[in-house]
Parts: sequence; C-alpha cells; structure tokens
Amino acid sequence: MFPWNYGFHFGVASYIFLGAFYTVLVVVATTILSALWRAHQDLSNSKAEDIRWHSDFHDLSAADRACRHVLTGEFKSRECPNAFDCRGCETHARLVAVHPPVAAAEAEADLFGMSFPLDRMYHRGHTWARPEADGTVTVGLDDLGARLLGTPDAVDLPEPGSRVQANGTAFRIHKREADVRVLSPVDGEVVETGGVGRGFFLRVKPLDGPIDMRHLLRDGEVKPWLMRELERLQLALTMEGASTPSLADGGVPVADIAAAYPKTDWDAVCGEMFLEP
Amino acid sequence: MVKQLDKEFITRGVRRCSTPRFVLWLTPWVALLIFGAYCAGLCLVKGLNQTNMDNRYAFGLWIFVDLTIIALGAGAFFTGFLLYILKFKELKAVINSAVVIGVVCYSGAMAALMVDVGQPLRAWFTFWYPNVHSMLTEVTFCISCYLTVLLIEYLPILLKNRKLRDIPAFLVFEFELHKLIYVLAGVGTFLSFFHQGSLGGLYGVLRGRPFAFREGILVWPSTFFLFIISAAAVGPSFLICTTWLVEKISGKRLAKDRVFDLLARISGILLSVYVLAKTIDTLIWINRTSPSLGFTASQYYDWKPFGTWILFAEIVVCGLVPALILLTPRLRAQRAWLIPAAAVACCGVALNRYVQTVQTMALPTLSFDKFLTYTPSWQETGTFLGVLAYGVLVYSFSFRYFQIFPEERELKIEVRPQQEEEPALAGRF
Repeated sequence: MFPWNYGFHFGVASYIFLGAFYTVLVVVATTILSALWRAHQDLSNSKAEDIRWHSDFHDLSAADRACRHVLTGEFKSRECPNAFDCRGCETHARLVAVHPPVAAAEAEADLFGMSFPLDRMYHRGHTWARPEADGTVTVGLDDLGARLLGTPDAVDLPEPGSRVQANGTAFRIHKREADVRVLSPVDGEVVETGGVGRGFFLRVKPLDGPIDMRHLLRDGEVKPWLMRELERLQLALTMEGASTPSLADGGVPVADIAAAYPKTDWDAVCGEMFLEP
Repeated sequence: MVKQLDKEFITRGVRRCSTPRFVLWLTPWVALLIFGAYCAGLCLVKGLNQTNMDNRYAFGLWIFVDLTIIALGAGAFFTGFLLYILKFKELKAVINSAVVIGVVCYSGAMAALMVDVGQPLRAWFTFWYPNVHSMLTEVTFCISCYLTVLLIEYLPILLKNRKLRDIPAFLVFEFELHKLIYVLAGVGTFLSFFHQGSLGGLYGVLRGRPFAFREGILVWPSTFFLFIISAAAVGPSFLICTTWLVEKISGKRLAKDRVFDLLARISGILLSVYVLAKTIDTLIWINRTSPSLGFTASQYYDWKPFGTWILFAEIVVCGLVPALILLTPRLRAQRAWLIPAAAVACCGVALNRYVQTVQTMALPTLSFDKFLTYTPSWQETGTFLGVLAYGVLVYSFSFRYFQIFPEERELKIEVRPQQEEEPALAGRF
C-alpha cells in the first residue's frame, strides 16, 4: 500500500493506488488553496462588493435579470449577461447606436402617480444619479424606493472620503424588520452625505475623468421599467402573503407602502425590490 | 433577542417555523442523539462485548446501516456529476439538498464505522498501517477522502448563509470556491465510483462464503459493478423521497415537478439497468459460480426466514416494479405513484445490503457450521438511532438556515392562494 508498510511491494496495483490516491489529494488541496488564494487576491483588490453583487445577481430570478432592451421591447426575452453593467456590453452599444433613447417629452415625469424627473438617470436598484454642474453626481432614492421604505428607522451612510462603486453598496436603510442595502448607481468618492429630508443621500465625485453612466436607465426607458417594477412589487407582495391589488384599481402607491402592509415580511419585499435576494 | 438572532440567520424571503417550535422539533432528536452517544460510548469504553456480534458474526446492524446509507447518499455524487459535469441544469434545484444528505450519510457512516472498529485511540492505524490485502482499506481511504470532498462542497452552502456572507472573507471564499466546484464534483464522482464498487467487491471476493462470492472482470467481482449501479440508481430516488418528506413536514413546495420528473427518469433508467445486471448475475451465480463451489443455490434458501421470497422481493418487487413505474411518464407524474416507487427502490437497495451483510454471515459454509441468528443489542440499536438523530438534526439546521432549495421562494406563490387572507389595508395600492 504505502512504501513504509510491512509487506509492501512495488507493482502495477500499488502504482495505480498510489497514483490515484495522491492525485486526489493534490487535486483537492490545489482546489482549496486556489480558492483561498483567489479570495485573498479579491480582498486585496477590494473586489468584495463586486462579488457580492454578482452573487446576488446570480440568485435573482430569470425574469428579474432581464436585459434593459427587453423592457423597451427590442428583445422578446434576454437575460443580462453583464449583471446590469452595460458599460462594456457590445449589444447595448450596438442597439443604442441604432436606436438612441427617445428624448424626454417633459422635464418632470409623473409616472403612475410617482415623480420620476427625467433630468437624472435611474439604477434598477431604485436609486438615481444626477450629474451636477461642478462635475459631481448626486445620488438619491427614486420615488418608488422612497415609498417602499417610507420614513426609515435608520440610515447608515458611508463616511465622506470613502469610495462607492456601481452596483456595490451605497448605503443601508433599516425599516421595520427590513435591513436593506441600497446599490450605488455610480463609481466615485463620497464628498457629502444627505439624508431622507434632504432629497439626496450621497454626493459623489469621480475618481478619474467623468463618471460613466451608460448603464443607467434614462428617458424613454424609465416608464417601461417602472411598469415592470410595479408588477414585481405586486408579485412580491403576493408572495409575502399580502393582498393582490392591481393597477386596474386606479390607485397610486401610498407614501409609506410598508405602513399599509403591517403584517407582511417587509424584509423579503424590500430584498426583492432592491435586488438583494 | 434569541428570536431576532434566529431570524437574522434565516434566508430572506423563506418562511420557517417560530424559534420555540423549532426547539420543540429538535428536542426528541437531541434526546435520541444523547442516548446514541451514551450507547456508542459504552461500546467504545467497554468494548464490543456490548454488542451481539462475535468472531463468527462480525458484521451486524452497523455494517448493514453503513452500506445502506452510503448507497442512499450516492445522490450527492451522482447529482453533482449530472449537474456540474453533464450540465443537467434543472438539478440545481436539489444539489444543495443532495450535498447535505451526502454529508449526513457519509459522516454518519464514518461515525458508526469508528464505533464498530473500536479502539478510537488507534483509529489512525487504518491509514498509517493499512492492510494491503484488504478491500476495506480502499473503502476506508475512498470514504475518508470523499467525506472530505463533501465537507468542502458543504462549505459554500454554509458560507452563503445570509449572516455569514456579511463577512467579506467568507463571501469571496464562497464565491471562488463555488467557481471550482466542478473539480470537486469530478473528484467526488471518481471516489464514489470506487468506494461504492469496493464495498460491493468486499463481499464478492469472499471465496469462503459461496453465498456472497461472485466471478467478475479482472480483479473486480460482479458485485463491484452492481453496487455502483444500484447506488447511482437509488441516489436520485432517495432525493425524491427526502424532498417530498421535507415538503410534507414543512408544508411548502420546494422543487418544481419537472425536477421530480427528471430525478425519477434517471432513477428509473438506472434501476432497470441494475435489475437486468442483477438478474444476469444471479443466473450465472445459480448455474455456475455456486455449483462450482459445492453448493446448489437452493441450499441457501432452506434456512428460514431467508427463503426465495427475499430474492424475488429484491429483484422484482423492489427493482423491476419501481423501475417500470419510474419509467412510465404518466405514472411518475403522480405523487401517489412516484413517492411509493422511489421509496420501494430505496428499500430494495437496503434489502440488498441486508442480504449481503446479514444473510451472508448467517448461512453455514462448512459441514460442522450452524445456521447463526443475530439480533442487535440495545447498545447497537441505540448507536444506530443516534446516527439517525444526528442526520435529522444536521438536515433540520441546514434546511432552516441555509438555502437548500433555491426554488422555494419562487414556488411560494403557487401555494399562496389557499392560505390567502383578507389584506390588512386593501385598495391602498
């Protein structure tokens, strides 16, 4: 069996056994060490947030991973292969070149009873980003996101000077049993923090060059996306045992949706809507 | 405080029972585990005189249980092989459950084996001073290695826990390890293939026991291959049974019908291959192997209660019948057929391992031998129950705190209409 065992003789059987045994050991050890090494490299290169998002994105249902061009009807069905980061997506670049986004008809868009101004761009995790004249970008929660959280119990904002990255955690909001991480729409360094009453949560300055916002929704893309989000909200509420009202009722979302569903697992609803399954 | 902490560890969006109810569920199993640990302790401290085994009847309840749960746990390697190597994507819905079952089965088997071997302080001798002529050595090495692989495969499930993944080091390690999981699935398949085979080979090489001895190919007796095929066949069936059982206990749907259907189809195909192979093997054994060793096959079945009924039950009732049900799309689509068929297939493999272990030992092989009977002592039974309780506890914790069935949240909506209540504030939205 092993050379140090009494009665051991080298032969075909021992070569096969020893070869297989040590191969297995080497493969298993290499796999573990490789995973540990790569994890160490990821941590050193501050990739944890990126990995968190990719892991979350992977756990979203197929319908929730739909490409933005499905929302506008350019594709019948297509899953986003880039975890909602269209900046490097060739398909997106090609489609935008052929069909540039339709310009906004009005400066202030009232969509389904909610305010979605078109002077800013929207992230699918319910944040918006508005470029300012001084080169910074203001980040806030969109109207649906704000209504989902109502008046938050607590908000954890990053310290000025810290960095945020697109699809990474921008800030955390606590509401009832829900502990929600809100995704950042842009990369940059936080220069100022706001809050619920100030109309914005973060002001971010670019790290180098202008902030790339090609991955965010704008103009004509907002309405179809929001329509789908309302459907997702209905589904999430239904899944969590709440009512199943439909927009055909003619109502508009109340200012504090959480308060309207006191018995619903709000953590699950927010997890669904803020893309944190 | 405890309730809040408990809730924070539960996967977002899935419903689990309240903390007190969970504690209530755990209590009898913990009691059984403590009783099992006491029994095992007695065997380890006082020796194997606590059992009803002796030098002549050296394999008893524990070995039978070991062989059975290792066969049933084969779902782990086989599902991993189908998902990661052959890319059966639908099986993603049950792979985590298969891994948990694998961990439970293999670690439970190792624990029982350690009590059986005794001398815990010298347990490492089996690795350092292996008996070069024993197939059990190959089994020990393969099972130890595979249990290690399973524990590594279990890590991503554990680290994906909602609270644990808040720690960046755990998050990135889980992510990177999961990317390499196909390597572990391949190694697991290789190891499982050999230790399932070696367990079968263990009996097939017993030339002194003509009831078990089999001819074969090169150094491998036919039982080597029969054990592999039967384990691969019932692994998916056991997965069907456990998923169904957890669905019933928790009152939730956990996997889509198409997943059950795929598992049933795979199990049915492999079970029919096994039945064919087992039939050919039995015919060769009856007509050639056994007579050449001086026994007619009928002699083995003169000793009651081991009549020919056991052979019929093993091949036809627990083999052919469930195989036909699982292969028939219309029948396997109905739970009333699917679950009994899968359960009977699992019973079939247990019966096969029982025959190989207990009947082989009981039958006389020499003219002055007597037919032996054996009933496990309460210490043996207690140890077995302890292993069972351990399995239930590990699975219960895994189900409560880890994402064992990824489709569970998606399927929640399909059962909701039955439980729907009047909304608190209807018409607000």
